[in-house]
Amino acid sequence: MPKYSHVCRCQSDHARFAEKIYDVVIVGSGVSGAIIAKELSSQGKSVLILEAGPENIYTMNGYNKYIETFYGNINKDNNAPYPFNANAQSPSSLDVDKLTPGVPDTKGYFVQLGTLPLESTYTRVLGGTTLHWQATCLRMLPEDFKMQTLFGQGRDWPYDYETLNPYYNIAERELGVAADVDDQRYFDITFDPNYVFPMERIPVSYLDKMVAKHVDGMTITLESGEARSLLVRSIPQARNGVPNPNYDGGKGYVPVGALGTNQEEMGERCQGNGNCVPICPVQAKYDARKTLYKALQTGNTEIISQAVAHKIDIDPDSQRVTRIHYKSYQDPALPEYTEGTVQGRVFVLAANPIENAKLMLASGLNSSSDMVGRNLMDHPYIHAWGLMPEISGTMRGPQGTSGIEEIRSGQFRSQHAGFRIDIHNEGWGWATGSPTTDLLDLVDNQQQYGTDLRNGLVNNVSRQLLLAFMVEQLPDPNNRITIDPSYTDQIGNYRPVITYSLSDYSLAGMAYGRKLSKEIFAQIGVEDHTYYDPSSFGYLIYNGQEMIARGGNHFSGTHIMGSSSADSVVDRNQRSWDHDNLYLVGSGSLPSIATSNTTLTLAAMCYMSIEQILRDLQTA
Amino acid sequence: MFDLFIDFSVTLTGFSTFRLQGTGMAAPYFETVQKIIGPATLDELLLQYQAIVATANGDAATLDNLLRNTIFNDPKFGPVTRNIIKLWFVGTWYQLPKDWWGAYGTGEQGDSFVVSPAAYTEGLLWPTVGVTPAGAKAPGYDSWVNAPVFS
Repeated sequence: MPKYSHVCRCQSDHARFAEKIYDVVIVGSGVSGAIIAKELSSQGKSVLILEAGPENIYTMNGYNKYIETFYGNINKDNNAPYPFNANAQSPSSLDVDKLTPGVPDTKGYFVQLGTLPLESTYTRVLGGTTLHWQATCLRMLPEDFKMQTLFGQGRDWPYDYETLNPYYNIAERELGVAADVDDQRYFDITFDPNYVFPMERIPVSYLDKMVAKHVDGMTITLESGEARSLLVRSIPQARNGVPNPNYDGGKGYVPVGALGTNQEEMGERCQGNGNCVPICPVQAKYDARKTLYKALQTGNTEIISQAVAHKIDIDPDSQRVTRIHYKSYQDPALPEYTEGTVQGRVFVLAANPIENAKLMLASGLNSSSDMVGRNLMDHPYIHAWGLMPEISGTMRGPQGTSGIEEIRSGQFRSQHAGFRIDIHNEGWGWATGSPTTDLLDLVDNQQQYGTDLRNGLVNNVSRQLLLAFMVEQLPDPNNRITIDPSYTDQIGNYRPVITYSLSDYSLAGMAYGRKLSKEIFAQIGVEDHTYYDPSSFGYLIYNGQEMIARGGNHFSGTHIMGSSSADSVVDRNQRSWDHDNLYLVGSGSLPSIATSNTTLTLAAMCYMSIEQILRDLQTA
Repeated sequence: MFDLFIDFSVTLTGFSTFRLQGTGMAAPYFETVQKIIGPATLDELLLQYQAIVATANGDAATLDNLLRNTIFNDPKFGPVTRNIIKLWFVGTWYQLPKDWWGAYGTGEQGDSFVVSPAAYTEGLLWPTVGVTPAGAKAPGYDSWVNAPVFS
């Protein structure tokens, strides 16, 4: 069991926290903060984590309260399991509406300035957004690190795929990735000789197989003239499956099951609950609490939860960070708080790209490049959906088990965005609210009841196919998060002000995705039901193609990494160019988002940072 | 009246009394409907159902016809009946149309809500389409690889 004495939000302890000089102070307990805390505390360093959200989820009872909240919530959105917290709010897709040009939309936590509303969310609780992530763990392609050199678009990374490869290996161990190396070796992705993933690939769904039957080997010609042969391929994911006996040179791997239980095993295999987002009820999906638990077991990590960092102090001479101020609250509903400060030798902002940038800006730290908060990226998604020619068993298994990767790479990336395609095992839900909306349609509009209603549901739901196109976005300094004293929360902290749009590069990729979906549907014999409602907040027309842009929850770029302090915020180790004991970690550092879900890559990047932090601590 | 509510629910859902009672939700749903629309209106609806069952006298086509004409298309009974179907399938009570509330409702209208966490997991929609509720009643590792079985 965790050492609860190291988790504290007692008001009386603030004086003690203020006096001690920690080796490392980390803001945020999501995957980045947890990994850094675990590694450094394992090496004897004293670590303090400030977490804005609540922490009472180490026990099965605590975690199960989230699940009960989810069951009882009429909305089943990404944050449905996590109660509203007025003192550490999270953005909600339920607050997103069509924007009126020139009129800020202020009804949610985000103040949306446009031109397009950003629908994406994150979760401010212990463990962060890994509580609601889908756990897709694709590596980036080698070409993604050289976007400017190869395609004349976006930015190059300060290093290449080969540099990150060993850190990917470590991240795949910590997150517990289930995949087959042979499936994942494409477009020059390389692995160490004899490398295997910790667990065997998660079995692909019956729906995947029904799609693959028609699509495998299908030849398409991209608009650039390049040809591709499509293949339905299994998705690497941080979800517990069958351990690979050959892992780690034959040492094998033991899946990390549910926390807070000493009963018989639980969470050591995915149980097919189909609810990875917004919460895995058996904890077979990795979440950062699993890493935090190990950090706490070292006895060198302390966590102050319900402590919202709001200001960074800088020594004017050395430009080093001296302390971080936080507001500690007892009741998430009440605007009452106590001020506290913490001191450290190294400081790590690991609070996600929006909150990291917000904290910097609130402290007057725009960076010498003025890039803090800029280059905000996400993965815009478009959907295409229809009915398979036969019953396909939709709505079973983890939410994604296969995808199509062939349009992630190619010379076309000098012209338009690449994308990957997910086959969604949960059917049309993301696009239409199915299966509830199917029920409402049959009952309210078609006056169905009894056996006819049941047959109608089987026919409408079990044949559903949703293809989700996850499209890359380039760093654009005009897409940004800013702060404005007019917009604060009830304890006086800034709310993020979001300015967001999609460039022609992404829009052209999205439009091509829709075109390709029609080719794929024709190949399978899918009856296309895609409908882009013009009243939807994400409705767009590009070159005559209608579509709806949806958020991908992959915030990136707001403290962008680069080779020079002139045009980036952090160096190759995610250390601030301006403040040499300050690290800004996570997907905010990504110079390109490309076509991989961000968590695996940001976890790998954290392992690089850890090596530099240890060097810093040695010399300090 | 509770027994009549079950009989009516069997007709509306196509599931047997045994299956409906097995969800453990029959009483909470009966109480929910009674509380929101008032016992008088619910009794009136259930008695109307009883009357048409008697008239149909076992003839399915006649019953279907009477159900559509005197219940589904009735401005008072239609919206409530559709709500009872939705309760059984997804556990959610949907706010009644404003027109309905203006004509027949009393007190505060209230919002849509999930009757209880169990109402979600016991929804009949899931077994109907051969799956378990998203996030509950785990079917087990590897359960998604073969063709579905419908109940």
